[in-house]
Order: sequence, then structure tokens, then C-alpha cells
Amino acid sequence: MIASEYKQKRGGSSAMLQVRAVSKAFHYDTTNSPNHAVLNGVSIDIKDGEFVTIVGPSGCGKSTLLNIIAGLDSPDSGSIFVKGERKTSTDPDRIVIFQEGALFPWLTVTENVEFGLKLAGVPKDKRIEKARHFVSMMQLSRFADSYIHQLSGGMKQRVAIARALAMDPDVLLMDEPFAALDVQTRDMLHNHLLQIHEATKKTILFVTHNINEALLLGSRVIVLSPSLGNIRKDIVIDLPRPRDIDSPELVLLKRQILKELEEDFQFARKENTTATREKTAQ
Amino acid sequence: MLEKKTQQQPEKKRRNKSRFDVSDAANTALFLAAFVGVWQLVFMLGIWPQFLLPSPAMVVTSIANLIADSSLPIGLGVTMLRLAAGFVVSIGIGGVVGLAMVKFPGFGKTMSSFAVGLLTFPSIAWVPFAILLIGFNDFGILFVVVMASVFSVMITTYSSIRNIPPLYLRAANNMGAKGFALFRYVMIPAATPSLILGIRQAWSFAWHALIGAEILITTLYGLGHILSIGKEFVDMGLIIATMVTIFVIGMVFDRIIFRKIEERVRARWGLDQHADSQ
Repeated sequence: MIASEYKQKRGGSSAMLQVRAVSKAFHYDTTNSPNHAVLNGVSIDIKDGEFVTIVGPSGCGKSTLLNIIAGLDSPDSGSIFVKGERKTSTDPDRIVIFQEGALFPWLTVTENVEFGLKLAGVPKDKRIEKARHFVSMMQLSRFADSYIHQLSGGMKQRVAIARALAMDPDVLLMDEPFAALDVQTRDMLHNHLLQIHEATKKTILFVTHNINEALLLGSRVIVLSPSLGNIRKDIVIDLPRPRDIDSPELVLLKRQILKELEEDFQFARKENTTATREKTAQ
Repeated sequence: MLEKKTQQQPEKKRRNKSRFDVSDAANTALFLAAFVGVWQLVFMLGIWPQFLLPSPAMVVTSIANLIADSSLPIGLGVTMLRLAAGFVVSIGIGGVVGLAMVKFPGFGKTMSSFAVGLLTFPSIAWVPFAILLIGFNDFGILFVVVMASVFSVMITTYSSIRNIPPLYLRAANNMGAKGFALFRYVMIPAATPSLILGIRQAWSFAWHALIGAEILITTLYGLGHILSIGKEFVDMGLIIATMVTIFVIGMVFDRIIFRKIEERVRARWGLDQHADSQ
């Protein structure tokens, strides 16, 4: 069996990251329409060193979930635990890599990577050494003293990864980090990211709308459904990486996920036309 | 328009820098020569008596005399001190109030419309108020200078910080930047490009107000004071010599100092690249 439903182990202490019954609704105060529940009691357990991808169409609340986990957004109810400890605000133990544009243009590549260490009060020589290490790990040594606008899109995202790794977080949260890149660059960065995961054994939660990306990277793929506001499928993929997206196993899985999401779209359309969104929220 | 064009071609501009500078200098020299030529011509036509319209050469002599008896250097020094003092006070007060406006949105909204109104208020109109309230002294002049520039600093601080891309703040927050660290290491640098534009504008307001105030609020020193002496003693050479000095100071600050800083910041922040790709 290459893929199996992931059984959630409630309250397991081995979990690095626990998401417990997280709900979030958006309030549209401009119209009389009921609040739109984006997340509806989502629970996820992620083990140390796991590479989990969350996939779902836009509007399924995957970025919202990531922001809640990061502490950048607060849930209406539910809670987040890291190593069994409840978290309610941002903390350098969970670092987000954003889609783009989150690097500081007034700093060089190395200075960007140093930024979090500087805040943490790491002495200058130590943090420069550490920054140089991650800059070279991301193969950016040649650009160590360049400013951000001098880099290509792919290089920028490598800087963002280096900056996150330098903080040595417990969990790396990636919010569609490669969505704005061209296909070749994205492929390259996928491999690079897998190597880094192999080398550092970091726990990674990777959000994407791209099913291929989710299947290529994740040791576990969570399909988030916009109509449920919850997890539709939680699949463990035991295939070695790097993977081939055209392999029969992945093609099968992809078809399966697409089918699930297709049902979701039909469901969502029906919901919209009959305007019974409120029902979904309950 | 011309500035925009050069901004859009940073590469080209850099490559041709030396040639550009030469032609720039040639143009400036030509312009100056034409200007002095016309002046000399009008002088020679004799429409006005010599003491009302001296020749360029006579003004140069005036400048030399003013430098020799050190009244110009002293006046210039005093004016510069006043400018620096007024500017520092403006940046201090404007910055603090601007930050308070960011911190308290209700206050910010009210204060910004009030400050925008005062931005268009002619600085010279503060002079009678300053004379009666404070008197014919340095503090009266300082008051006018501060009133002329403080609102510009205030609004700039307020809008520059509010316009920081939220993603910078989120990313910084995520890496543990809170409170003062967030302010010092993220908000200030992120706001710098637009802060510089505002400070340049505030400087220009302060400079206008200062010379006006110096002419009207009589003290013993200052460029404005020399101008009013020139008027009292009908010494056109003195007046034009001082005007030339004021012009040069304005050029040095605006065209050289502020522009250099702005260019450097824009290049480092990569703002010209944006214009390039658009």
C-alpha cells in the first residue's frame, strides 16, 4: 500500500504540531449575507520531521489555517500546540515563508538572513557565521552582499528559505512559496527543498493549490475542502523522493484528489446558488 | 517628466554617466553665460540708474566686499544655524506627533486633515503672531520656521508608516520583531524612501519661511537681515549678492545633498528597478 488514510492520534505527545478544532469565519459587514465559515473545526497532528502538504482550491482556507498556526491570525475557536505547548501568538519557533515580497529590500541577502538572529540577540560574529552557512546552503554565496531587487524570483525565495532556516524553527510554514515562479525554477526549488528537508529533518507544513506540487513534496498530503471547511482527505505517501509526477501511483492519487475536489466545486456551486451558506457553516 | 525618463533607464544612465555630466555642465555654463549676458545688456541700456540695477561685475565686487568684511559669512552662518535648529525641532515634534497619529487612529484622522490644512497656510502669515507672542528675536524666527515645516514632517511620518507593505510587518512579527525592535529595524527603514521625500519638502518649506521671517523679524544677523539692510540703504549690490547666496544654498541642499541621498536610497531599495520594469 503506497498510500493510506492517516489515522489521527489524538493528544499524542509525539506530535510536533497539533491543530485542535480550529474554526474561523469571515465577517462581511458590507452585506447581510451570513458569515462565511472558512475553517470548521480543523484538527491536524504533525509529527517531528514530517513534510506535510496541504492542498485545496483558492478560498478553501489553507492560507488562513497557516496564518493561524503561525499566530499571525487568531482563530474564532480552537488552539495550536507546538511540542505540547499552547501557542497564541507569533513566535520564532514557527517561521512562515510567504509567497513573495516578504524580504527586506533595504538589507543585503546576508543581512536579511541575519535579521531574526539579530532580534534574538545573537552576537554579531556568531550570526554572520550562521547567516553565511545558510546562504551557502541555498547556493547564494555569490549574492551574499546583493540587495533583494538584484535577485531573480527563485533566488529571492531561496533567501527566504535561508532566512527561515537560520531561525532554526521547530516548524517551517510555507505559504505557496513557489506559486509565482516559472516551472523550471519551481522544479529546481522542489529538489532543493527536498534536499534541505533530508539534511535538516525539519518539520514542514507546505500549503499549495497545485496538486502536483503537493504530491511531489509531501510525505503526507492533506486535501482541504472549501465546502466542508475541513479536511476531506489525509493521505500518507510512502514513495521515495524525488518523485516522478507521471508515475502510476501519483497519477492515481492525483485523479483521486481531483475527483474529490470536483465534488467540492459542484457542492460549492449548489451552495452558492441556493444561498444556504449558513448551513455549511454549522 | 525629464526626471521620470532618466529613472526609467538606470542602466543607460550609469553607462553614460561621464558623458552626461559633461553635457550637463556645458548646458549650465551656456545658460549662465546667456543670463549674465542679458543682464549686462539691460544694464548697458541704462533703463535704470546704476545704483538700482548694478552690472554683474559690480555684484561680484559686492560679494567680494561682503566676504571681506565677513558680514556675509556671519549672516550665512547664523541663518544656517537657525535653519538647522528649526529643522531639528520640526523633525522632532513632527516625528513624535506623526507616530502618535499612527498609534491612535482617531487622533490621526483628525490631526491629518488639520495638518493638511495648515500645510497650505502661508508661513509668512505666522509672522505677526510670532512677533506679538514671542518678540523680535531668534525664537520668533524659529517659531515661524517650525510652523512652516512641522506639519509636512507630521503628515509624511504618518503616511509613510501607514503605507508600509503589511507583509513586511507580518514577516518581521513572525521572526520575533515586536515593539521598539519592529519600529527601529523594520518600520523606519521600510518608510525611509517616502520619509526622505517628505523631509526634502519640509526643508524647502523651512527655508522659504526662514528667509521671510528674517526679513520681517529684525535681528542683528542673517541673510534676510542683510536683505532688509540692503533695502533700507538702497544698496542693490548687497541685495543681489545676498539673493545669489540664497539661491546657491538652495541649490546645494536640494539638488546636491537631498537628491544624492534620495538617489542612493532609491537604488538600494530597488525602487528605480520597479520603474524600469513597468
